[in-house]
Amino acid sequence: MTVSPALSMTGISKAFPGVRALDGVDFECVAGEVHAICGENGAGKSTLMKILGGSYRPDAGTIEVAGRAIHFTHPRQAAEMGIAIIHQELSLLPHRSVTENIFMGREIVRRGFLDKAAMHRKAALLLKRIGAEIDPRTLVSSLSIALQQLVEIAKALLLDARILVMDEPTAALDERDSRTLLALVSTLRREGVAIVYISHRMPEVTAIADRITILKDGRKVWTRRADSAPVTEIVRAMVGRDLKEFYPPAPVSPPGKVLLAVAGGNNAALDEIAFEVRAGEIIGVAGLEDSGKGALASALVGDAPFAGGTMMLGGKPTALRTPRQATAAGIGYLPGDRKREGLALRQSVRDNALLTLRSMAGLFTRPFKGALGNAKIDETLRTMDVRAADFGQEIGTLSGGNQQKAIIVRWLEQASQILVFVEPTRGIDIAAKAAIYETMRSFADSGRGIVVVSSDMPELIGIADRVIVMHQGRISGSVARGAGEEDIMNLALGLSGPALGRTVA
Amino acid sequence: MSQSAVKLNVGMPVALLLALMSIGLFVVVALSTGETAQLSWQGATGLLQRMVALGLVALGQTFVILVGSIDLSVAALISAVAVLASHLMQGDPAMIVPAVIACLGLCAIVGFVNGALVAYGGINPLIATLGTGLIIQGVLAASFGALQGTVAREFQILAYGGVLGIPYPLLLLASLSLAAAFVLDRTLFGARIYAVGGNPDGARLAGIRTERVTLSAHMVASLFAGAGGLYLAARLQSGTPWIGRDGLYDLESIAVTVIGGTILAGGKGGVAGTLAGVLLFATLDASFNMLGIDAFLKQVLRGVIVIAAVAVHAVRAKGHVA
Repeated sequence: MTVSPALSMTGISKAFPGVRALDGVDFECVAGEVHAICGENGAGKSTLMKILGGSYRPDAGTIEVAGRAIHFTHPRQAAEMGIAIIHQELSLLPHRSVTENIFMGREIVRRGFLDKAAMHRKAALLLKRIGAEIDPRTLVSSLSIALQQLVEIAKALLLDARILVMDEPTAALDERDSRTLLALVSTLRREGVAIVYISHRMPEVTAIADRITILKDGRKVWTRRADSAPVTEIVRAMVGRDLKEFYPPAPVSPPGKVLLAVAGGNNAALDEIAFEVRAGEIIGVAGLEDSGKGALASALVGDAPFAGGTMMLGGKPTALRTPRQATAAGIGYLPGDRKREGLALRQSVRDNALLTLRSMAGLFTRPFKGALGNAKIDETLRTMDVRAADFGQEIGTLSGGNQQKAIIVRWLEQASQILVFVEPTRGIDIAAKAAIYETMRSFADSGRGIVVVSSDMPELIGIADRVIVMHQGRISGSVARGAGEEDIMNLALGLSGPALGRTVA
Repeated sequence: MSQSAVKLNVGMPVALLLALMSIGLFVVVALSTGETAQLSWQGATGLLQRMVALGLVALGQTFVILVGSIDLSVAALISAVAVLASHLMQGDPAMIVPAVIACLGLCAIVGFVNGALVAYGGINPLIATLGTGLIIQGVLAASFGALQGTVAREFQILAYGGVLGIPYPLLLLASLSLAAAFVLDRTLFGARIYAVGGNPDGARLAGIRTERVTLSAHMVASLFAGAGGLYLAARLQSGTPWIGRDGLYDLESIAVTVIGGTILAGGKGGVAGTLAGVLLFATLDASFNMLGIDAFLKQVLRGVIVIAAVAVHAVRAKGHVA
């Protein structure tokens, strides 16, 4: 038992501005083993793998491959050490053939020229080895996502990788393709490859893993043999943390009339969406990264609208095809990626707060008068306690919390009836979080409704009156206030709820 | 699920189609205007010779566009090379080789600077190459008084000579085109250009040093522009600081590349399409001349055709996705 592990990472730490992504994480994987890493969104799984792949450099800690300490500065070096990473986002060239993709960066050269025949031959062999029936001369853009995933794996195998990292490899695959992929993973394990398998799909993890490591908030919770780690314990370790106290109290009065009702809503990313939002209610939307919760928000605000189904706003059937229609109909949107979708960073706080009012105003409205004037908007900004030296300063210089408050002001001014928040407190410090929760509650208490999409489960439990949980584009269930994180996690993982027993329509 | 239906590489058919359309247009116009002399061997080589200057520049442009960049400095560089070549030669045949070497050296430097700004400096290629182009143009205009001269008479054989009835310029274009196509299709450098242009992050993760590839592509583009400049100097006997700009070689080289099916985002396209695009422009010019179309209307028609050609590509791409 003195064999050194194929891979061992010790005390790995990595900080990004404002976030401690990894904090002293130890991890090892031996040859012929599948070692799964589980954790919630943002637990640090992907960061750890990017460090292993040479994309990031760790702030502290050591990496040893087959007993030799290594320091990567370019992904090339990781590849040369026999580490292959299959990334979550595919890194293929759509306009090139399967062979050209498999050999990207490692083309076979004979007498200075590409040896295409040899590459096609070897690609065909690799594809056959993993059981993929693909003509190596096919263009990648004409392949399904599942087949593209197999091309990625063939790419990794070309390296004769001793360590294979798979980051959510089944995220885009359906049941049948997933099973094929898992069979392939087993084959590779038998061939002595050390496999690091990142996933939050519990059935897969328990089926394939030899050992499981749980990460949470950048720290390792534990590493155990898979046979001594039942799913319930894994889920508890992934979510187990205390509810914070700074959530406002639940409303005393029951919710009022229905403001928004969706039935049978569907589009490319969503299926059979049905739910309603009542006056005075905060509806949480939970789900994993690929569950469709973001797509639901986009559909509600008309960005990627529902293609079918019905939507009733205040009792009237409404079809929202564009964000402008949604805004006019009284739906406000606070996007998760504030810098990209929420703010004009180089414009003033005032300009940002006035954005929707100005864009919805008639062409001949006099600017800087009435609601569009400085006095009025400054007053609302002050009421919302947006802290800036001067509301004329660039909003990019404000903290995340103050930026978010300025966006809330934007929709207050527009007198929106429903606000759709996506990750409302991402990158925002604790104190500002509390203020934003207060605002959300008082907005709802004034007879309006809120839909809040979040990956932060304690947040949803703390703020929402009801949480609907999404799994694979559908609503897999909903839980009332007072439910625990594990109830939500089980629904989000598809372990309970209607999604489990569904048949292919 | 697996779409194993054989999918041909669509690069060639598009080029072929475009070339056939161009030739068809030329023949129809020549017949209908009675200018049948245009259809002789001489007429045909004359038509093809119109392709040379733009063709050389566009070959280089194809490399940078494939890698996901662009080069707006080629027009100024063409002028610079033409002026420098005629100034260094001063009609002396002994100076031909040194002058050519000096010109290509200048191109290598300009290409290196462009590539370094784009790949290592992270500057948007439109701005970076617009900037270097303006600098070259400015220096050239300011110092032109001191840079007079004519190329050697022997050097002009490059533009006017020929072998077996085939003009040298055509041979030059043909051999450089073949070389470029070969490099893109059969060498490591070519494969990496497609990789970097198609997916820069993916290429980096596959271990490709993407910056070097981008920089090299820029050097290729500048060297091809230099070849275009040398050809123009040979044809015109002496260079002026405006031949590149007046020839619109920057924008037209981009236009023909894109018409030929190379996508501006990079990673798809090739030499055959670009040559077909150049042929289209040459036949349009020749046809308009035969038809006696007004110069300004000519511009309008060219614009319409550029948009139409690119629109066809856009529609085809959409159809492919669906």
